[in-house]
Amino acid sequence: MIDRCDEIREELIGYAEGDLAPARHHQVAAHLGRCAACAREAERLAEVLERTRALPAPEMTEAFWADFGATVRQRISREAPPRAPVFQRVGAWRDRLAWLRLMPALGAAVAAGVLLAFGVARIPRVPPSPPSAESVAVGESLAIAQHLDILEHLDELEYLDLLEHLTVLRAPELGRLPAGS
Amino acid sequence: MAQTDFEVIRQVLAGDTEAFETLVRRYQQPIFRLTYRMTRNLEDARDLAQEAFVQAYRSLGNFQQRASFSTWLYRIAMNVSLNRLKAAGHESPEEVDAQVPDGQADALARVLQDERDRAVAVAIADLPPQQQATLTLRVHHGLSHREIAEVLGCAEGTAKANYFHAVRALQHKLGAFRDTRGGD
Repeated sequence: MIDRCDEIREELIGYAEGDLAPARHHQVAAHLGRCAACAREAERLAEVLERTRALPAPEMTEAFWADFGATVRQRISREAPPRAPVFQRVGAWRDRLAWLRLMPALGAAVAAGVLLAFGVARIPRVPPSPPSAESVAVGESLAIAQHLDILEHLDELEYLDLLEHLTVLRAPELGRLPAGS
Repeated sequence: MAQTDFEVIRQVLAGDTEAFETLVRRYQQPIFRLTYRMTRNLEDARDLAQEAFVQAYRSLGNFQQRASFSTWLYRIAMNVSLNRLKAAGHESPEEVDAQVPDGQADALARVLQDERDRAVAVAIADLPPQQQATLTLRVHHGLSHREIAEVLGCAEGTAKANYFHAVRALQHKLGAFRDTRGGD
């Protein structure tokens, strides 16, 4: 515990202002309770601080402050307007346009949407499955059959073999061959 | 809700120069009291306080916002005051304005109060400028040692040491004053 008078007197200003840590404050207070010389010194210091604090400041009138403000206003009107440094102005613009930070994400979203729409429009239709050989045959046969006179003479069934080979007769949509043919 | 200092500053820097009046009205009294306590002269105090605001306006673009605006403004006001003391050769004022507190019916007490106030004012004015500045900022404006260091542009330890030296010097001077008057 530090209790020498010269060390205690170093602490008296802090003690008078309540600036000491609590433990130290108690130590100083305890010493002042035992040491009359240090107690007198503490009292004088407190008085000096109190008288300094109590030194009055002038209370100025409303007219004074009105004139004060008007003078300042007049003087600064002759000054160039203050501006933030360039790097701060750039930063301020960046902050004001903070929504631009979303642009990459927005752009990506828009681009994706465009591509999607474009892609959907351009997606080729699923090509129809190639016609079966049978269908082709039926088609071809139908075309030919339209011109075959034999169809007009179906009554003449002497040429059954020929008839059997007419795939048009075997196409489901045209009906089955009669039984026994 | 009142705008913060930083909000007003942003407004001024954005081009609304009239917004600076908000800061003037907000700080004119403490800044004037500061320059008054440093010079003990009403006219000088007014001129220096106005100069502090003009310099603050001029340099507003350089305000870094690392410290509070008030600390920054105190620094400007203290610099103009110390420069004035330096230019005046730091002579003790011949006539120290000591305002008489209102409401004291006892004329003798008023005279004594005047005399004591004058003694304190002269003792403060007689201190070296840095000690005077430290004392004023601590006792009359309630700044911490750290804030005083920011205002004066020195280390916190230096600000603290200056303050302790100022108080001890004041104690010595006022003790001498008390002794010549036969004690209180």
